[in-house]
Amino acid sequence: MLERGKKAKFCGNCDSHNAYDYPDRVFCSTRYAQGKDPIVDTLWFCEDYNPVSQECYCVREAQRKKKSP
Amino acid sequence: MGRKDYVGNPVQHIRVSGTMTVDQLMQQFRNSGSFGAGRLATACDIYEKMLRDEECTIFLALSGAVVPAGMRLLVTDLIRSRLVDVVVSTGASMVHDAIEALRGHHYKAKLPLNDRELYKYHLFRIYDVLVPEEDYVKLDYRLSEIYGEIADEKKGASLSSREFAWELGKRLDDPDSILRAAYEENVPIFMPSVRDSEFGFIHWLHSSQANRKNVLNLDAFKEVPEICGICRDSPKNGMIVIGGGVPRNTVQSATLASKKGLDYAVVVTMDRPETGGLSGSTLSETVSWGKVKGEADNVMVIGDALMIFPIMVASVVERLGKDFRREPVLQRMKKGFSEAK
Repeated sequence: MLERGKKAKFCGNCDSHNAYDYPDRVFCSTRYAQGKDPIVDTLWFCEDYNPVSQECYCVREAQRKKKSP
Repeated sequence: MGRKDYVGNPVQHIRVSGTMTVDQLMQQFRNSGSFGAGRLATACDIYEKMLRDEECTIFLALSGAVVPAGMRLLVTDLIRSRLVDVVVSTGASMVHDAIEALRGHHYKAKLPLNDRELYKYHLFRIYDVLVPEEDYVKLDYRLSEIYGEIADEKKGASLSSREFAWELGKRLDDPDSILRAAYEENVPIFMPSVRDSEFGFIHWLHSSQANRKNVLNLDAFKEVPEICGICRDSPKNGMIVIGGGVPRNTVQSATLASKKGLDYAVVVTMDRPETGGLSGSTLSETVSWGKVKGEADNVMVIGDALMIFPIMVASVVERLGKDFRREPVLQRMKKGFSEAK
């Protein structure tokens, strides 16, 4: 499953997101409903799988918030 | 009945040779005539009879994981060779066809499997076959766009599941696709339980778009006169059932509603009759409803359709030979009408 030397990636389990190019890109149904490009990068990934559903918000917005102090 | 009325031919023992063809083996099964082998040989005989009967319309009823298991091309080839005339399918089988038409795949699972791990890797399991979530999601995305195209074209008008399948086939460019082949060969596909599949649930995504003016509408009742009309207009009707469920019931009920009854019936299933469910109900039980005629050629083959059905088709195709051509009776009749005009 995993290439040698690469770390496991598990994308967030938001209610509105589904794997599009696992594990790097997701399909965001909220963005799709708003008429925006629904294919976005995975917000973050865990090296340990977290089975708990994450808070659901726009991936791009969340990335922006993460970058700004 | 007297004693001798119960006794048929002696069982002939199966002889296998290294150069045997599929149909030669089937002849050995027929000579044995026993248990599953005898039933499978009878199923082949009935299917051959259906195909050679120029008055018969052949319904193929599909349920269960036909496509994930690897029978997609088999069904496509049957459609393209006119060896079935009408397909009645679960929505799910056509969903899996569309996944592959959009370049997705079904994968053989490597054993042993851990379902909790599969969940975290976004891999869906169908017994020992896996479908990656992204193949579903890519389908969802494309389907939602297709729904939009159809809705804009139809401007709110409702479609039957047959019309819906035709619109899907028109938009898929994969020649190996069942939906595409049916569209190109003008073979109707009915999906009476279309809502209970990804086709149904993706409607939510399609209709959630804030700027969407037209929403796709399907009318569950619209196809009733369509399928009943086929049964009514066809001099004879035959069915081949893979599994059972809603597709089997739809074919049987259409022949009942059109007051025709089936002249031929082959059911391949693993289901049992004791629960009272339709999939395992015997064809004899079906006779009591008038869905299958009392004098109809019929057989139930109990077994895994992935093993049974390809062997059945291979045997019958071998018997028919490469020059066999078949024109569906309703097409021939229609042509006759237009020529008479």
